[in-house]
Amino acid sequence: MTESTRAGVEPRQLLPTATAGQTWATLRAELARLPGLSALAGTLLVAASATGLVAPWVLGRLVDDVIADADTTQIVTWAGVIAGAAVLAGLLTAVGATVAARLGETVLARLRERVLDRALHLPSATLERAGTGDLVARAGDDVAVVTNVIATSGPAFLGALLSVVLTAAGLFALDWRLGIAGLAAAPAYALALRWYLRRSIPYYARERIATGERAQATAEALRGSATVRAYRMEDAHVARIAERSGIARDLSLEIFGLFTRFGLRINRSEFVGLAAVLLAGFLLVRDDLATVGAATTAALYFHRLFNPIGLLLFESDSVLQAGASLARLVGVTALPDTATPSGPEPARQARREPAALEVTVAQHRYDDGPVVLRDVDLRLAPGERVALVGASGAGKSTLAGIIAGIIAPTHGSVTLRGVPLAQLGEHRLRREIALVSQEVHVFAGPLADDLRLADPDATDDELTAALDLVGAAPWLRTLPDGLATEVGEGGRRLTAAQAQQLALARLVLADPAVAVLDEATAEAGSAGARDLDRAAVAATEGRTTLVVAHRLSQAATADRIVVMDHGRVAEHGTHAELLAAGGGYSRLWRSWHMPDPVPPQGRASTEQIEEQPVLG
Amino acid sequence: MSVAEISGGVVLRRALRRQRGRVLLGIALLCTHQATEALVPVAIGVVIDRAVATGDVRALLLSLAGLAALFTVLAFAYRAGARMAYAAVEHEAHATRVEIARSALDPRGHRSGMRDGELLSVTASDAELSALVVRVAGLTAAAFTAIVVAAVALLVVDVPLGLGVLLGVPLLVLALQRMAPLLTRRSSSQQEALAATTALAVDLVTGLRVLRGIGAQDHAARRYAGASRHALDVTLRAATTKGLHLGLTTMVNGLFLATVAGVAGWLALQGRLTIGELVAVVGLAQFIAEPVQTLGYCVQLFAMARASAGRVARVLGAAPVLAPGDAGPPAPTPSRLTLDGVSHAGLDKVNLHVRAGEILGVLAYDPSDAEALVAVLAGRVPHPDHRGTLYVDGVPAEELHIDALRAVVLVEQHDVALFEGTLRANLSAGTEVDDTVLRAAVRAAAAEDVLAAHPHGFDRQLTERGANLSGGQRQRIGLARALVADPPVLVLHNPTTAVDAVTEGLLAEGLASARGADTHGTVLITTSPALLRVTHRVAVLDRGRVIAEGPHEQLLASDARYREEILR
Repeated sequence: MTESTRAGVEPRQLLPTATAGQTWATLRAELARLPGLSALAGTLLVAASATGLVAPWVLGRLVDDVIADADTTQIVTWAGVIAGAAVLAGLLTAVGATVAARLGETVLARLRERVLDRALHLPSATLERAGTGDLVARAGDDVAVVTNVIATSGPAFLGALLSVVLTAAGLFALDWRLGIAGLAAAPAYALALRWYLRRSIPYYARERIATGERAQATAEALRGSATVRAYRMEDAHVARIAERSGIARDLSLEIFGLFTRFGLRINRSEFVGLAAVLLAGFLLVRDDLATVGAATTAALYFHRLFNPIGLLLFESDSVLQAGASLARLVGVTALPDTATPSGPEPARQARREPAALEVTVAQHRYDDGPVVLRDVDLRLAPGERVALVGASGAGKSTLAGIIAGIIAPTHGSVTLRGVPLAQLGEHRLRREIALVSQEVHVFAGPLADDLRLADPDATDDELTAALDLVGAAPWLRTLPDGLATEVGEGGRRLTAAQAQQLALARLVLADPAVAVLDEATAEAGSAGARDLDRAAVAATEGRTTLVVAHRLSQAATADRIVVMDHGRVAEHGTHAELLAAGGGYSRLWRSWHMPDPVPPQGRASTEQIEEQPVLG
Repeated sequence: MSVAEISGGVVLRRALRRQRGRVLLGIALLCTHQATEALVPVAIGVVIDRAVATGDVRALLLSLAGLAALFTVLAFAYRAGARMAYAAVEHEAHATRVEIARSALDPRGHRSGMRDGELLSVTASDAELSALVVRVAGLTAAAFTAIVVAAVALLVVDVPLGLGVLLGVPLLVLALQRMAPLLTRRSSSQQEALAATTALAVDLVTGLRVLRGIGAQDHAARRYAGASRHALDVTLRAATTKGLHLGLTTMVNGLFLATVAGVAGWLALQGRLTIGELVAVVGLAQFIAEPVQTLGYCVQLFAMARASAGRVARVLGAAPVLAPGDAGPPAPTPSRLTLDGVSHAGLDKVNLHVRAGEILGVLAYDPSDAEALVAVLAGRVPHPDHRGTLYVDGVPAEELHIDALRAVVLVEQHDVALFEGTLRANLSAGTEVDDTVLRAAVRAAAAEDVLAAHPHGFDRQLTERGANLSGGQRQRIGLARALVADPPVLVLHNPTTAVDAVTEGLLAEGLASARGADTHGTVLITTSPALLRVTHRVAVLDRGRVIAEGPHEQLLASDARYREEILR
């Protein structure tokens, strides 16, 4: 998040993954919540598969009747039975598939909603350690993998599984000796599957990484194309893309090679089974233990199994991968629930009340790292505006994080209206203290939807007023569809300054008692830096505010300035006091080389600046 | 401008031509595979007829050996054919991808009109999809072969029955295909809803810190739940249609089987078919639906490949933005860079000089003027889009070869782009540079904290786009990179916006001494007083014109507006 927390920290897997047992238990519990639907889906699917067995069985009887020279009506009857079974199978399949989809998809929808709910309410401490990378992968990729498998391969896989089980049962019902002959293929199939899965699963992981690296190299070169051209690095980047694309290609060729060798083994198993069934039929017919019709039925049953068994085997790795994704999702749902508010939520009006905030940090360090803060003791009076000034690594962002309640100090505490933040609970805390950080994000979708994340009940007028307050009115008017304009990923791209204004407008709508602005205007460039300063002042008007100041003008407009150096408070006081004191701050201020430093007089100065005579 | 327009058709034909060896061999093998697949039910019938029904051991052994041979050919033909076809697709996709990257990174710019995201999806998926035309060729040929083999086998058994099956199966498949548009529509709206849900999840979680900052997690979770419920509704609608289609297919196939079995049974009863032929006919009637469905699938696949090929063609056929000359690098002159009456975007007949040994500050009251100036200096603006001339060492920029221009003028952008790789690779930008040079540049850019904070020093690994650095660190590494490149003329645009005031002061000093050589010219487009302080001269741009020029101190003392603009 900041330079000091980021440096040298490698991403670690800190989110839990469920065991197979936990995953099954969660699935069973979800199915148990829909007992009627589960029972109905099971019955229908089994019945639909069972009706599929009628045709081969009837064909066997038909063969026997032809051999026995039966009359035409018998043939017509058999044809009628096949037709009847077909109609029944059609109905059962249609209804069964629909009911099964309803069951599976409902369970999945509930699961993904719970995953996202838990992910969004990840405790701050966990989020700060784990980062959002793994969480994004789970909420995005893992949910998509499970969803796709359930929506596309799921029904076919389930149908094939039932088909195989019931056909095997049918084979045994026909003649147990024919059944045993059919089972001769099972070890061959099992060996083929084991051979394949052992090799394919690691390959898929490697292929995913290789494809990701290819996409990354391409994305980086395209996004930085101006720089690539400026430094004449086109050839190097094309070479890098070609190299990574080549690696991904070779991997997927290897995987496909593996897959076709698997296909070879499956064909071999098919032959073993079919030959065994035909041989057994031959012997049984010769010894008059079975009819030619029974042998025919057995061969047709087995031939009928080729497709479902192939499907089961070929889909097995995607099902296994879905299982792995599911385990990661169930792992997220096992995280503690911080969403439920502990204690009554204060009324909206009460939150507007500016609050006093006190912070005492004897010492703070990240894990076993060096001490980054020590002996900080600070009180923010209700409605007071305090600016933090200091060089990179002085501990400004860490202190801001501690005050905002997202970092717990190693030794120290923060109290709001005299109540320790730890007792406030995550839910209350986040509504009382808002943090606008350097990390800007414009949520994809209509502009109004982005703003309503802060206050879902806000009217269009309130949204417009919030944008107006932070100086966004001019560009809002230029948007083609006003508040309904699509912004963010895939929509209209906002400039860094506009995105920051949006962040401040959200702050206005969230309406917290305490606002912490960490480098909120740092990335804006010169473009609208002053406008953003003004917007920040307007957005935090009447709130207890802490600003991590990058530019001295931000500090000069604050009620009080705290200068930090190597994790300690070096100086504090008003702008005038610090200038008079002649310490580091005053040297810094003078290095700006102002012959006549006129600090803007807070909020009133905005009008004056605009009315300066234009030279030209 | 002459545009080498190419169409999607060209891309598809080129794919087939480039991969013709693999394609032809693959087609031959896949056809063999399908022919043998078609013969499996016939073989079962033969075994039952000749061996099971007769009890003849010799016939059994012979027919089982025949079955083994059939399976062997089938398996190996599939393995080799499928590999061949797959390799053709992958090799073609790779070649296309590299071509797209080369075209998108053309030094003269790229005029496809696509955004980065679109270009990315063209390289990622369209390259692959357009190469699928190779697969379409293989599958179509194989499916035709299977149908022909099955047809011959059926007609050999019984001509009227064979004709009935051959006409009946395609008719049934076509009838069932009538549901295809509805199915496609439902599944594509399902795909859309699911993709939107995934995108929302990724978007919300990516912005999680922002959401947490304003306590909006509950609202976000509710929004996701709404989207998820909508996706569920759409999915269930699609599932109902799919279930209906599946049920209908099962029913129709079963009814067709009943008819064939009835007729074939009656014919067998009449003695016109043997038992084995009865089994073979029933088996073939079931088998033949598969290749017919494959043909339908090929039509869809081809439509997809053609659409993707169109997008690939748009990128590969895009014209370059610039039409540079071919003059070599100019000899250095005392006036390294001159803008003579340049008008572009908001700029209105701007005249500027950058002398050798000078750091020229440019303060633009309107940020868009600064952007326009950067675009002109970077040589990104094609001649028709600007008036006036940019002279580089006295030579008009458009007469220079693109590499000659870039060898003299380097623009480091405000929005610094770093790349995955080591810090060393980023700083040296692909050239061989000594560590002492790197160290000096890092010190001048006041970026030593990036080095010091890490045990690997210059071998420190940066992640994608330098995401493991802070915004300020990225800016300073970008500046250090420009100092390492040490170009005759360096243009910097707002290089310290994410750098705090203390560090900025150090950086300004470092920059001034690093660019102090008396042959170098430097343009510093900025509003920062700390940076303007180290310039020799400042040109002030207002409403597209240069309204004042002079040393920073002088402007500061005499010009109230100037003072106001930099006091931010």
